Amino acid sequence: MRFGLQAKVVAVALALSPIPWLGQRYVNEMEALLREGQEQALLATARAIATALHERPELLALRPGVPASGEMQRILESLGRAESRIWIVDREQRLLAIAGDLKKKARAEPRRAGALEWLVRAMRPLTSLVLERPSEDFDDALPESEISGGAEVRNALQGVPAWRWRHSPDSRAVILAASHPVWSGEQVVAAVVVEETTNAIRSLANRALEELAAVTLVAFALGAIALLVFASRLSGRLRRLRDEAEDAIDSQGRVHKLLAGSKAQDEIGDLSRSFSTALERLARYNAYLEDLGGRLSHELRTPITVVRSSLENLKMEPLPEEARVYTARAAEGLARLDTILTRMSEATRLEQLVRQGSRERFDAREVVQGCAGGYAAAYPGRGFEVSVPDGPVMLRGAPDLYAQMLDKLAANAVDFATGEEPIRVRLDSSGGLTVSNRGALLPGGMSERLFESMVSLRAERGAEPHLGLGLYIVRLIAEFHGGRARAVNREDGSGVVVRVDCPVG
Amino acid sequence: MPRIVAIVEDDPGIRANYADILKKHGYQVSAFADRKAALAAFRSRLPDLALLDIGLGDEPDGGYTLCRELRALSAALPIIFLTARDSDLDVVSGLRMGADDYLTKDAGMHHLLARISALFRRADLAREPRAEEEIVERGALRLDMKRFQVSWRGAAVDLTLTELWLVHALARFPGHVKNREQLMQEAQIVVDDSTITSHVKRIRRKFQAADPAFDAIDTAYGLGYRWKS
Repeated sequence: MRFGLQAKVVAVALALSPIPWLGQRYVNEMEALLREGQEQALLATARAIATALHERPELLALRPGVPASGEMQRILESLGRAESRIWIVDREQRLLAIAGDLKKKARAEPRRAGALEWLVRAMRPLTSLVLERPSEDFDDALPESEISGGAEVRNALQGVPAWRWRHSPDSRAVILAASHPVWSGEQVVAAVVVEETTNAIRSLANRALEELAAVTLVAFALGAIALLVFASRLSGRLRRLRDEAEDAIDSQGRVHKLLAGSKAQDEIGDLSRSFSTALERLARYNAYLEDLGGRLSHELRTPITVVRSSLENLKMEPLPEEARVYTARAAEGLARLDTILTRMSEATRLEQLVRQGSRERFDAREVVQGCAGGYAAAYPGRGFEVSVPDGPVMLRGAPDLYAQMLDKLAANAVDFATGEEPIRVRLDSSGGLTVSNRGALLPGGMSERLFESMVSLRAERGAEPHLGLGLYIVRLIAEFHGGRARAVNREDGSGVVVRVDCPVG
Repeated sequence: MPRIVAIVEDDPGIRANYADILKKHGYQVSAFADRKAALAAFRSRLPDLALLDIGLGDEPDGGYTLCRELRALSAALPIIFLTARDSDLDVVSGLRMGADDYLTKDAGMHHLLARISALFRRADLAREPRAEEEIVERGALRLDMKRFQVSWRGAAVDLTLTELWLVHALARFPGHVKNREQLMQEAQIVVDDSTITSHVKRIRRKFQAADPAFDAIDTAYGLGYRWKS
């Protein structure tokens, strides 16, 4: 399986995912701390009230008609907390007084504004699924069982301050109850119970969690977008570089320049530059190879001239008959060397001609017909079958060169043709020229390289030297005419077709 | 008195061999390895014909310079470039320097000798006021094969020896297609096909300089060329 650069960057981003979890842990810890604080605060309140009542035992006279009033009320109110309920039971667990309310007074939540707040609100439907939202709509009745059976009450009546978490009767809220005994001398005379819901803390924690979720979402979104943009740009540039690198050397061995990221100051720019350098070297080497023929023929010409002129001098000397044999052989070898040199310089001259050549409009049909007429005389043992369209096929180029190309194609086909089948030369009205012969097939993978300089696939060595320049010349001329040359096997596998497509116009 | 042929060639082997062959053919030869020595000798005495290489020692274009200097000394002196360079550019620049012909070194000795004797014949005729003529006339074309003079509609066309021989081969039998081998034979050259093409191209251009409507040389694709009758 292959992962793109983008997928990898996203995977790296996933490493950031513990951050919200850590945030939640932090909020939970904070909530636990707040609860502990609340426990201590309630205990302290209970203790304060118990102390106050300890000093005024007369207030504890049984007064079954709760709620508290008078001084008791004042004490409870002054020592009580905003959203707590305080009640007092006597030893017989009878409710002596009760004050305060567990429910929050209708105090509007301060409205905050801002994008974050907006996001928090927008996310409410989602966060509600996870968060337990405290409700003010709970049953705040104080059931008899809590008064008589509550563990904190019992503990307090036995002289031990205690606290306990319990649910409201309808289980919608969690209530913290803290109790403290009221001493009268050595005796516990009553217990003070201070109750408070955890709603305030819950809200606070929820709020924190909501904001955490919103901030995380925003951070993730921004991070993901940034990474994605970065990764897309990177992978886009790399893709372009890859495509260009793939096309840099075309099927005919020519080398093009790379453009992608060639000026960029980063590693991809470096990569493309070093690619370009490598390609440039390759192009130089290719040019060197293509030049080699011409340069070699040039360099060889001087020593060959020395040999030739020496032989010519030798011929005019009186030589014994045995020695004549050797001069004749040397002359033969020289003639072959000459053929090679001529072929090599032919390609070089053609390259120059193609580079500076001027183009004219000409009818390829006339050239093909004229040339084909000549082949019958040039290759007497081989039949030619020529077909041309009815109308003219106007090409832009040089008719001489086009004829030279056809000569090379014909010579090539004649060399490889076997059997009696004539060589088929066909020109179609769209400028396509095919020369087809029966004979050995092209080996796989070599069909494109055939048109490179000095590539030859001839298995046996003929009498004539072959340098693999014929089809290279074909390619040069085809390109001069704005076209390209290809060699393929015949579909029925009986031979080879060389096709040159030149645009008409 | 034997004629003096000067060879300016930096390769000692070629220089000596050519000198030997020319001596065997009855010419007196003076051979030079570089431009300065040759020019110094030419200033005191002109040869009857000069064979120049283009690259001379450390002067890659020394032959061109020498050709120009020789032309300044004598307008009539026959000059032949004999060189390993064969690009069209070299040929054109060589001929522009005023050389009478241009041969690559792979041309056989007999090709060179044919040119030398032809150029000497022309030089002899120029000296004799009343010489016999060998004129070929084909319509507007007039070829003087002895003096190597070509004119088209009365205007002189400046052809090299090789070009003249090519035109002669074509115009002798108007309407007949001459293939490249035949042309090479008649013009005493051995070159590849594309050189013949460039020769013909240059000939056409020279005629067109005299007459822009010139189109007497016809290309028979794949066969050769033909002089329109």
